[in-house]
Amino acid sequence: MQGNKKILRAIIIALALVFLYLPIATLVVYSFNESKMVTIWTEFSLRWYVTLFHNEAIIKAVVISLTIAFFTACASVVIGTLAAFVLVRVTSFRGESAFVLFITAPMVLPEVVTGLALLLLFVTLGEFIPIFADRGMFAIWIAHVTFCASYTTVVIRSRFRELDISIEEAAMDLGAGPIKVFFAIILPAIMPAEVAAFLLSFTMSMDDLVIASFVAGPESTTLPMLIFSSVRRGLSPEINALASIIVLIVSVCTFFAWLSMVRKQRRVASDLAKAKKEALLEKRKLLRGANRA
Amino acid sequence: MSTGFSSNMTFIRRSFQRQNKVIKEAKHDNTWRDYALIFVPYLWMILFFLLPFLIIFKISLSVTEIAIPPYSPLVTFEEGAMQIILHLENYTSIFTDPDGTYIRSYLKSLQVAGLSTIFCLLIGFPIAWALATAKPALRNVMFMLIIMPSWTSLVVRIYAWMTIMKKDGLINDCLMALGIIDSPIQMLQTDFAVYVGIVYCYLPYMVLPLFSSLMKVDYSLIEAAYDLGCRPVKTFFNTLIPQTKSGIVAGSMLVFIPALGEYVIPELLGGKSSILIGRILWQEFFNNRDWPLASAVAITMLMILVIPIILFYKVERREQEKINAGK
Amino acid sequence: MENTPLTGESKTSSPEARKNAHLPGELPGQKPSPEAQNRRPILEIKALNKQFDNFTAVNNVDLTLYEGEIFALLGSSGCGKSTLLRMLAGFEKPTSGSILLDGKELTGIPPYKRPVNMMFQSYALFPYMTVKQNIAFGLKQSKLPSKLIEERVDKMLHLVHMEEYIDRKPYQLSGGQRQRVALARSLAKEPRVLLLDEPMGALDKKLREQMRLELVDIINSVGVTCLMVTHDQEEAMTMADRIAIMDKGDFIQIGGPREIYENPNCRFCAEFIGSVNIFDCHLLSSNAQQSLIKATDFNNLIELSHDIDLADGMPLTIALRPEKVYISHKKPLEETNWCEGVVENIAYLGDISIYYVRLTDGRIVSSTLPNVDRFKEGLPTWDDHVYLSWDPESCIALTF
Repeated sequence: MQGNKKILRAIIIALALVFLYLPIATLVVYSFNESKMVTIWTEFSLRWYVTLFHNEAIIKAVVISLTIAFFTACASVVIGTLAAFVLVRVTSFRGESAFVLFITAPMVLPEVVTGLALLLLFVTLGEFIPIFADRGMFAIWIAHVTFCASYTTVVIRSRFRELDISIEEAAMDLGAGPIKVFFAIILPAIMPAEVAAFLLSFTMSMDDLVIASFVAGPESTTLPMLIFSSVRRGLSPEINALASIIVLIVSVCTFFAWLSMVRKQRRVASDLAKAKKEALLEKRKLLRGANRA
Repeated sequence: MSTGFSSNMTFIRRSFQRQNKVIKEAKHDNTWRDYALIFVPYLWMILFFLLPFLIIFKISLSVTEIAIPPYSPLVTFEEGAMQIILHLENYTSIFTDPDGTYIRSYLKSLQVAGLSTIFCLLIGFPIAWALATAKPALRNVMFMLIIMPSWTSLVVRIYAWMTIMKKDGLINDCLMALGIIDSPIQMLQTDFAVYVGIVYCYLPYMVLPLFSSLMKVDYSLIEAAYDLGCRPVKTFFNTLIPQTKSGIVAGSMLVFIPALGEYVIPELLGGKSSILIGRILWQEFFNNRDWPLASAVAITMLMILVIPIILFYKVERREQEKINAGK
Repeated sequence: MENTPLTGESKTSSPEARKNAHLPGELPGQKPSPEAQNRRPILEIKALNKQFDNFTAVNNVDLTLYEGEIFALLGSSGCGKSTLLRMLAGFEKPTSGSILLDGKELTGIPPYKRPVNMMFQSYALFPYMTVKQNIAFGLKQSKLPSKLIEERVDKMLHLVHMEEYIDRKPYQLSGGQRQRVALARSLAKEPRVLLLDEPMGALDKKLREQMRLELVDIINSVGVTCLMVTHDQEEAMTMADRIAIMDKGDFIQIGGPREIYENPNCRFCAEFIGSVNIFDCHLLSSNAQQSLIKATDFNNLIELSHDIDLADGMPLTIALRPEKVYISHKKPLEETNWCEGVVENIAYLGDISIYYVRLTDGRIVSSTLPNVDRFKEGLPTWDDHVYLSWDPESCIALTF
C-alpha cells in the first residue's frame, strides 16, 4: 500500500515536471541553434544572443519595462501595506465592504476589461489633465499599480493577520508612539510579505501584455508587447534567446529565494532544538535542587 | 455656606466636563489618523477602478463617431437645454447580430473556460495530492518547481508551445519517430492548442488552493472510512472531496474567471474557430475602433462573470471565517 | 503549661468572640487591610464604564489600589476583567468614568504616555530583538542616556536571573525564561503600576506553581504596585494581597484571599471560590446568641451562634465548605447541625479523600477527609450509613 503510493507519487510528479518544463527546455536549447529555422537543429552558436544585444528596440523595451516594473512594485507595496493595515487593524468604517470589493476585484476581472476601462478613463481624464492624455509610461504605471495593489494587499494582509496584536500593544505600552510602532515592530514582522509582494508585482508588471497594450501609446512599447508583436509575425530565434535570458533570471531568483527560505527554516529548527534541550536540562536541575531540599 | 456649596458644584461639573472632553478628543484624534490611512488606497481605487467602470458603462451607451474621442457624447447642450441620449444599439446588436458572432463567441468562451477548468482540475488534483503527501523537504522543492514557470512571461510560455507544436516541431517529430503517425498533425491554430495553452498557464492557480486544502485534510477520516469498510473509490468521494471542496471551488474559479476573458492564448495558439470573447473585444477596439461596442461587450462579459465571482467571494469569506474562528 | 489555657480559651470562646472572627479583614492569618496599614492610595478608578455596542463589559466600577499591594481581578472569561486592565493600560477607551493615577487623570492619555506597564499573557516579546534589546526597548523610548540603559538592563537581568541569556532571541528561550524577560521588560521603566494579564496563562502546570511565588518575590523586592488579572483562583489566592471577584462587569466582592474564601458575601462568590455545599433554607428564629434555620434537604435544624439580619420565615442560603463537614459512623450527640445519608462515592485524591454522601431526600453532600494515616482502618466506605456534622461557625449564611 505505502510502496504503491510512493511510486504513484513519483510518476505524477515526474509527469507534471515534464509537462511544465519540456516546452521551456526546448526553447532554451534552440536559442543556441545556428540556423534561422527555430525547429531544425544545425549547430551550437551564440549568434542570436549577439544580435539580441544589438537590437536597440529590444533594449529600449527592456529599459521601459524594468522602469515601469520597479516603480509599480514600489507604489503597489506602499498602497498594499496601507490597505492591509486598514483592513486588519481599523475595526470598521463606513464603506468598508465597498473598499474590500475595490481592492480585490481587479484580481478577478478579465485583463481585457481592466485594460479597456483604464484606457477610457485616461482618454476622459486627458481632456482635463494633460498628463493622462500623454499615454506613456506614467499611464502604464498607474494601470499596473491599480491591478498589482490588489495582489500586494492580499499578500501583506495575510501576513498581517498572523501578527500578534499584543506585540504592538507591548511596544506602545513601553512608550513607542504609533509611527515608531509601525517602523520598529510591524515593518520587520511583515518584511517577508513586503518582499514577496514587491517581487510579485514586479513580475506581474514585467509580464503584463494586455493592459499595457490598451493603455500605452505608440511611443512606449513594453517588452511583452514587443515579444507579442514579433511572435505574431512568426517564430524567430532571437525571441528564443530573449526568452532563455528571462528564464535564466527567473530561475536564479527563485533558487536564491528557495535557498534563503531553507536556510532560515534550518536555523530556526536548530535553535528551537537547542532551546528545548536547555529547558530540559534546566528542569532536571530544578528537580534535583528540589529533591535535595 | 451657600457659596461654598455652589462652588463645589461648579467644580464637580467642570471636572465632569473636562473628563468628557478628554475622552471625546482622544477618540476623534484616533479616527482622524485612521481615515488619513484609509484615504490613500481608497482614493486610488475609486479613481482608477470605480471611475473607469462608470466611464465604460457610460460609453457603452453611446454610438461610434469619427471624432476624438471616437464616440458620441451622452449629454449635449442644444439651445441651452440639456439633452441626454442613451443608445442601446450596442447591446441590441450584440444579441441580434445576423451572423451571431457575439453570441457564438460568448458560448465558445464559456465552453473553452469550462473545459479548461475541468482539465486543470483533473490534472491538478493528483499533483496537489502528490505535493501534499510528500516529505516536507521534497515538498518545498517541488512547490518551487511547480510555481516557477508562472514567474516567467506568459507570452514566452505560449511561444515555447508554439515552437514544439509546429508541424515540424518536437511533438510531431517524436510521434513520427515512434511511428504513431505518418504525417504531421496540425496542432497550432486549433482548439486543442488553446486548451493546452490555458491548462499549461493556469495549472498553478488550480494546484495552489487544492494543495492548501489538501494539507488541512484530516487523514484520520480516510483511515476511519477504510476501517469501517469503505472502498478506496468511495472513500475518495466521501471523505477527500467534501474536505477539499473549498479548494476545488477556489481553484476552479481562479482558472475559469481569467480563462473566460483570455486574449493572448487563443490569439497565438487558436485558429479561426477559437474566436473567444476577449479577441472580439480586442478586434472591436483596435481593428474596428468601435469603442462603444467594445464597451458594451465588456459590460456583457462582466454580467456573465458576476455569478462565478460571487461564488468565489462566498467561498473565500467562509474560509476566512473558519480561520478567524480557529483563532 | 501556658499553652493549655490558651487553647482552652479558643475552644470555649464566647459567642461574641466567634462572631467577631467573621469580621472582614481581621481573620487570623491574613495581612491587615491596606486602609488599616495607612498606605497611600495610588490608583483610583471611579464609576468606570465600558460599553461595546449593546454589551456592557465593565459596569460603573470603583476601585482603589494602594501603594505596594498586589491586587488580583478574578473572574471567568468574559467577565470584563481584561477590559478593565486594558482600559488602565490605555488600549481601550472608557465609555465614561475616570482613572486617577497619583491624582492625575489617565483617560485620554495614549498608552505610550502612561506611567504604567503591562506584562502580556503571551508575553508579547519582540521576536526580532534579543533579550537585551527587548528590555532596553522601553528605556530607549524615554530617551535615557545609553549608559543608564545598560545599567538598568543589567539590573533587571540580575533581578530575574537571566544574565546568561542576554543575547538570545525570544524563540530560543523556554516558557519560564520568556516570562522572566517579559517581567524584566515591564519593570525596566519603573512603572507606577505594573499590570499582569494572566501571568501564568502560557505556562504548564508544574512551572506555574513554582513561578507564582518567584514572581511575588520579584515584585515585592521592587516594591511596585501590581494589578493582575486571572481566572485561576489558586493563582489569585497565592499571589495577591487583595482579590476582587468580577462577574458580568461588576465587582461582586473585594477582600483578602482568606476573607473571600471564609466569608463570601453571596452565593456566587461562595460557589466561585473553592467547592461548597449549598443548602436552600429558611430562617426560623434569630437573636443575638442563636439563629435557628431549617434546611429543605434534611430534618435536623441548623444552628448558628450569631444573629441574622432577616425576618423570621424568610428564605436564605447556607454554604458549607466540604472540608468543614465531619463524616462519621456515630450519631452526633447534639440535636442540631447534622444530617445523615449513605456514601455514594469516594474520590481518593492522595492527600485527601472526597466523600459524596446521598441524603435521604436524594441530595448529594460532599465532605473531605485528610488522609493522615497511611493504613487507617474503620473509615466509611461505599454504601455505609454515615452522619455528617459541622460546627456552628462553619456555616455561612447568605442572603443573596
